[in-house]
Amino acid sequence: MNRIGKRYVPFMKAGVQTLIAYRLNFFGFVIGGLIYCIVMFYLWKAVYDSAGGDSFLGFTMTEMVVYLFLANTTTQLTYSTVSGDIGDEIKDGSISMRMIKPVDMDWSYLFTELGAAFMKVVVLLIPVTVGLEIYRYCMLGEVMFRPLNFLLYFLSVILAYIISFRVNLCFGFVAFYVKNLWGFNILKNSIINFLSGSLIPLAFMPDVMRTILEYMPFASMGYTPVMIYMGKYSAYETAFRLGIQIVWAAVMFGISKLIWIGAVKKLSVQGG
Amino acid sequence: MIYAEHLRKEFKKVVKDPGLKGSFKSLFKPKKEIVVAADDVSFHVPKGEMLGFIGPNGAGKSTVIKMLTGILTPTSGQCRINGKNPQTDRKKYVREIGVVFGQRTQLWWDLPLRETYSVLKEIYEVDDDRFKKRMAFLNEVLDLEDFMSSPVRTLSLGQRMRADIAASMLHSPKVLFLDEPTIGLDVVVKDNIRKAIMKINKEEQTTVILTTHDISDIELLCDRIVMIDKGKNVYEGSLRQLKEKYGNIRELNFETAPGFSLTEDEFRSGLELGEDKMTVEKDKNIFKVRFDSTEMPVGEMLNYTLSHAKVKDISFKEADVEEIIRRLYKQGECENE
Ligand SMILES: Nc1ncnc2c1ncn2[C@@H]1O[C@H](COP(=O)(O)OP(=O)(O)O)[C@@H](O)[C@H]1O
Ligand SMILES: [Mg+2]
Repeated sequence: MNRIGKRYVPFMKAGVQTLIAYRLNFFGFVIGGLIYCIVMFYLWKAVYDSAGGDSFLGFTMTEMVVYLFLANTTTQLTYSTVSGDIGDEIKDGSISMRMIKPVDMDWSYLFTELGAAFMKVVVLLIPVTVGLEIYRYCMLGEVMFRPLNFLLYFLSVILAYIISFRVNLCFGFVAFYVKNLWGFNILKNSIINFLSGSLIPLAFMPDVMRTILEYMPFASMGYTPVMIYMGKYSAYETAFRLGIQIVWAAVMFGISKLIWIGAVKKLSVQGG
Repeated sequence: MIYAEHLRKEFKKVVKDPGLKGSFKSLFKPKKEIVVAADDVSFHVPKGEMLGFIGPNGAGKSTVIKMLTGILTPTSGQCRINGKNPQTDRKKYVREIGVVFGQRTQLWWDLPLRETYSVLKEIYEVDDDRFKKRMAFLNEVLDLEDFMSSPVRTLSLGQRMRADIAASMLHSPKVLFLDEPTIGLDVVVKDNIRKAIMKINKEEQTTVILTTHDISDIELLCDRIVMIDKGKNVYEGSLRQLKEKYGNIRELNFETAPGFSLTEDEFRSGLELGEDKMTVEKDKNIFKVRFDSTEMPVGEMLNYTLSHAKVKDISFKEADVEEIIRRLYKQGECENE
């Protein structure tokens, strides 16, 4: 295990190096997300003001704010760039260099990205959580932070990331068949954003739709952890939702392995 | 050791009519064309041999190397190396091979060179002791010390290529695949690289497959050559045999002194070499003469030139792969007639 770890850690180092080289991009991404949250905040505030009540579809304004920031943070934490990265590596041919090394493709991509994931926990998750808890304290006058919920949230985020990574890996492998994935990727991201509830809480959707979406992998990629953090699930339901996440992680793992077997036969790298 | 059997690789390419209209058409109804990059390529390389794999640009050399290294899957045919199939046993297989693509790098772009090697050490599970010895050896033949601490992106082409060669040899591979390892390098660096390849082949019986444009690479390193063109095998044997068969072509370049006039025909007239044994091209006062040195030794040609022309500058060169191929076809046409 130690040996295996050592073999993939270099990919993580390289990932962090790239991140540092392109740190402006990274912070642009983070700050863009926060600006988006602030805009959404005023939007929802207008909705709440015009609705006139304390609560709207089971969410108080305070909860809505927590949801908004946390959903955005969670989406960023679980966001995987691997599909785009694979596409780029195929286009410039550097994927060859990955293939001539005695490593599994999926693990090497995972580790390349993990550095960025740790970075996001430090610069995004921790500040946002602290900020939200101060906000909740100011609004409600009591400490709402539940360490157990936070731990379960974190566990759920890890599962969400695994699912998101695997889904993106599958999309990335499709680039072996289709050369230009740019438009495809944008479409994919919008669909995931909507179906995972990071745009609008799934709780706001019609019952039938919500139930279906809650069972789909998309909810597992963002909605589930946020609801766990907010304490919207009972103990039983939390366990159930985590179970669904585990099932999806396993399913996507299997599917990505299968697609790889087919895709590798289709790979065509140009040049040298 | 290495068996390539009837390797064929087809690529699908979308062809686009020119202009905006063509772009639109290809967006909705892409016209696909099949490019056959390798067509029934077969050869065998025994353990410890250095094989020169040559052919003109676009012949399909890189495509074949990519199939042999497990990057591409053949459309049909198969290869076995060390009893392994590169496509199905990729992870295990690549542990035993070293690969260099001249136009690419496997070094970590943003890391200091030294770190690339410690990374590779972990990836290939080389133990500390071996690693130390290996680095000392590579350092000695390839002279890496000066830029060991520099980030790879700051290296010159020659330094980068030496570093890449070292990276491919670090884990003592049984087979080395070198795709144009000397492209664009100066003589000194070429020499360094050739020495490293030769040494490793001698000391460890490493099997080497090498593609190159530089005939002297082949001359110095390779026991045997396989030549392909347009994806097909066209020749297999030793370079010596090839030269015997198609002539040992040399290129003579000379520049006449200002004020001295000489035409192609005047130069030709004193020699009894037909069109197929000698070609003469003239550009202003610079002559390029390609001739068969089995028919006319280099020394004689030198004497002849010096006595028939007032020469300002003169040099001889070995013909490149393209020239040999050209001859090969000419001869083929003659034989067919
Ligand atoms: N990925 C690809 N898609 C389409 N055509 C390709 C691809 N790779 C190579 N080719 C074509 O296959 C032929 C052989 O290329 P290559 O193997 O790179 O030749 P060489 O290395 O001998 O110069 C060329 O005509 C090239 O254009
Ligand atoms: Mg090539």
